[in-house]
Amino acid sequence: MAELTVDDLHLRYGDTPILNGVALTLERGQVVSLLGPSGSGKTTLLRAVAGLETPYQGTIRIGDQVVFDGAKSLDVPAERRNLGLVFQSYALWPHKTIFDNVAYGLKLRGHSAADIKTSVTRALEQLSLGHLGQRYPHQLSGGQQQRVALARALVYNPPVILLDEPLSNLDAKLREEARAWLRELIVRLQLSALCVTHDQAEAMAMSDRILLLNGGRIEQQGTPREMYGNPSTLFVADFMGSNNELKGDIVEARDGVATLNGDGFSVTGAARSGAAPGVPGVAMIRVERVRIADAPGPNRIAAKLVTSMYIGDRFEHLFEVGKGRLRAYGDSALEAREAFHVELPRESLWIFRAGS
Amino acid sequence: MSTVPAAVAPVAPNTLLARFPRALTILVTASAVLAPLALILYQSFLTAPFFDASKKVGLGAYRFVFADPDFWQAFLNSFTLAVGMTLIAVPLGALLAFVMERTDLPWKRVLEPMILVPSFVSPMVLSFGYVVAAGPVGFYSVWAQDLIGTAPWGIYSIPAMAVIAGLTHVPNVYVYATSALKSLGSDVEEAARTAGASPFRVAATVSLPLIAPALLFSAVLVFFLGFELFGLPLVLGDPEGHLVLSTYLYKLTNKLGVPSYHLMAAVAICIVAVTFPLVLLQRRLLQNARRFATIKGKAGRMKALPLGRWKPLAMALLLAWLFLAVIVPVSGIALRAFVTNWGIGVSLLDAFTLDNFRAVFEEPTHTRAIVNTILIGTIGGAIAVACYTAIGFATHRRNDGWSRFVDYLVLVPRAVPGLLAGLAFLWVFLFVPLLAPLRATLFSMWLAYTVVWLAYGMRLISTSLFQVSTELEEAARTIGASRGRISREITLPLIRHGLLGSWLLVFMIFEREYSTGVYLLAPGNEVIGAELVSLWQGGAIDVVAALSLVNIVLVAIGLAIALRFGVRLRD
Repeated sequence: MAELTVDDLHLRYGDTPILNGVALTLERGQVVSLLGPSGSGKTTLLRAVAGLETPYQGTIRIGDQVVFDGAKSLDVPAERRNLGLVFQSYALWPHKTIFDNVAYGLKLRGHSAADIKTSVTRALEQLSLGHLGQRYPHQLSGGQQQRVALARALVYNPPVILLDEPLSNLDAKLREEARAWLRELIVRLQLSALCVTHDQAEAMAMSDRILLLNGGRIEQQGTPREMYGNPSTLFVADFMGSNNELKGDIVEARDGVATLNGDGFSVTGAARSGAAPGVPGVAMIRVERVRIADAPGPNRIAAKLVTSMYIGDRFEHLFEVGKGRLRAYGDSALEAREAFHVELPRESLWIFRAGS
Repeated sequence: MSTVPAAVAPVAPNTLLARFPRALTILVTASAVLAPLALILYQSFLTAPFFDASKKVGLGAYRFVFADPDFWQAFLNSFTLAVGMTLIAVPLGALLAFVMERTDLPWKRVLEPMILVPSFVSPMVLSFGYVVAAGPVGFYSVWAQDLIGTAPWGIYSIPAMAVIAGLTHVPNVYVYATSALKSLGSDVEEAARTAGASPFRVAATVSLPLIAPALLFSAVLVFFLGFELFGLPLVLGDPEGHLVLSTYLYKLTNKLGVPSYHLMAAVAICIVAVTFPLVLLQRRLLQNARRFATIKGKAGRMKALPLGRWKPLAMALLLAWLFLAVIVPVSGIALRAFVTNWGIGVSLLDAFTLDNFRAVFEEPTHTRAIVNTILIGTIGGAIAVACYTAIGFATHRRNDGWSRFVDYLVLVPRAVPGLLAGLAFLWVFLFVPLLAPLRATLFSMWLAYTVVWLAYGMRLISTSLFQVSTELEEAARTIGASRGRISREITLPLIRHGLLGSWLLVFMIFEREYSTGVYLLAPGNEVIGAELVSLWQGGAIDVVAALSLVNIVLVAIGLAIALRFGVRLRD
């Protein structure tokens, strides 16, 4: 059953359009991430679902209850949507103890004091915060505050929880731990979560599905594997990973296979949207898929080594191909000699129409 | 989370109840602000007082006033005073702000509250202080005569009044100039310094031009306050018969022998016609100043500019101003309160007496005035802050037509000088049968004070409210709290320290207030400020001196508590 359904949502600030017809569904027990560059509208979409922003067109349904319908001017206020929202800044109330912060949602729903005590204690324990109930937010570390914010959003069992960049206020090391922990918690408690992030690795690690937003529209949606391994547009391919790009002209496109000729090279790969003979194109490949060969061959390009950098767990090699550059990873340093042959394996190479 | 009770939709808020307090707050505020003003406007177009049966609608009042050469002289005097004090207060205030905010001048922590003193002491009291200190037989004049054979100054002419008004309005410029300077990176000053500019050259060519928008705003503010002056021209203008608009209005009361409310109303409207555009201009300039401040703000890296050999000069300038604007009048009152009489050849020790205070404490009117003044500051101040908070909440995080209406509404009393507001409220209490029994009670006084200081109070409250991050309130909304509950359980507890600070500041302002009570003064609701005006008219110098000192002490107590608890004295 879909816990959350958004359909054809439009929103603008003054004359500036922010969302241009966004649709999404969130199934029970799923984590869906809204991913996108800043200004793509992902946070606005989350806030519109929460009821903190008002769209002018479209519908939002939570379970089978319509909470927003632009055509009927129906707009259920935020406080009656019964959602849980975790803010980027956590927004813990500094004048309330941790216990009171978490208890507030239950108090608002008229639970008895005994009930509240049991539920809050249990929630705090589930998030390993059991001993911190009587402290105030400023006495907690960033990671603990983040968990309190989560406990506060979960304690009254909302059908959907909304997470706005939940990990971005943690330092890099803690973030990787928290991301695994958060994913595990969401799965264990069978929560349905909508999560905003600008970090593609975080989105892939945490979500069942990713929605990539671009300019207020959903560019592509799918599982992390689909998004990374089978991007439908240049934008998605570019956003989801670390890439090499070669520009040229598409000379052939047939049966899902395209060939692109560039400045002194010719490569063949999977044809993507809009790839047609005679149009300018871009060949794109993930950096980790590039291989270094000794001899010329198909999809191999003669290249000059610019530099070989040691980055800890591996080497990163930088090559020059005409005016362009190619990056590749390797286990050992390369010696500078005139010609290397860089292989872009056909099954890992995508050919896009330029600007798609 | 299977272990917690099943989800329950939040309790539906009663929308009528959720909206009603807001509508009521706005309605009450609007009537408290607009009714008195409307009454003045109405009265100004009548040919006789509004309660007079023979009244007719007409322009007779305006015709009379415009035909009176005294009115035009008063207008000219007001304008001269306003221009003069602006020319003195703005450069001096800007310079003091630079020295205090940007340089390594010592003892800043002690000096800062002292600089703000003139803005907390009643102008009536300050002016009286100048009379007894530097008037023809003032302490300092007599001492100067003993020392050098002459006291080469006079304080009763228009230029002298402009100088005194200018000196005592320096704090108004100072507060805005310092907050603008705070947001300025010190790198621009260091660049000028390394290029070879002296500290004062840096101030004149770099720092102060960069805060020009803030200075322009304070210039308009001081000019505007010049038109509002009442206590100072009343006390200092009297001996030589100089009238300004407000004192002209005040004298009209007895000019014709009968209540000349229609003439007073016409003058009042003339004053508002000058001040209201100035208030709107200030609002606009303040928004501009804030915008500029944020653009240039590279705050954070702030390094005091070393004054070097200019330090003695800067200190001398500051102390000279402090001496003239604070020490002379305050010491004058303090001395005068403890002597029987004063003049050439009188020794301070021989004339020492406590009789002045005895006279104050033996007269029930005076003791009541003291008690009332304390009550209106403490309890009245607290209720006023509660009202301001209610209005603040009515517009908080709401960007609709009503909020904009309230925004402008609170500006209206700003344009109505206390004297006029007091007069208007007197009429309201005479006019509205339901309110008539309350006229001679402290309530009428409190209501007028609260409305007169509405804009000031709202600024304090909104400063506190804006410090509450939006997300803290949104978090409560998404969890299911209605607006009312968010206000009570989240926002209000978060701003409680700000409210306590506001209470202290409003206490000081209410202790200081004098002009608003002038017309509302009645047996039973005496307050020191208005009482001083009436006693001064009666020539009771001894009692005025003693009461003035009591007034200064009350303000000083408020100031001491505020400093003790680290309340910011300005926004």
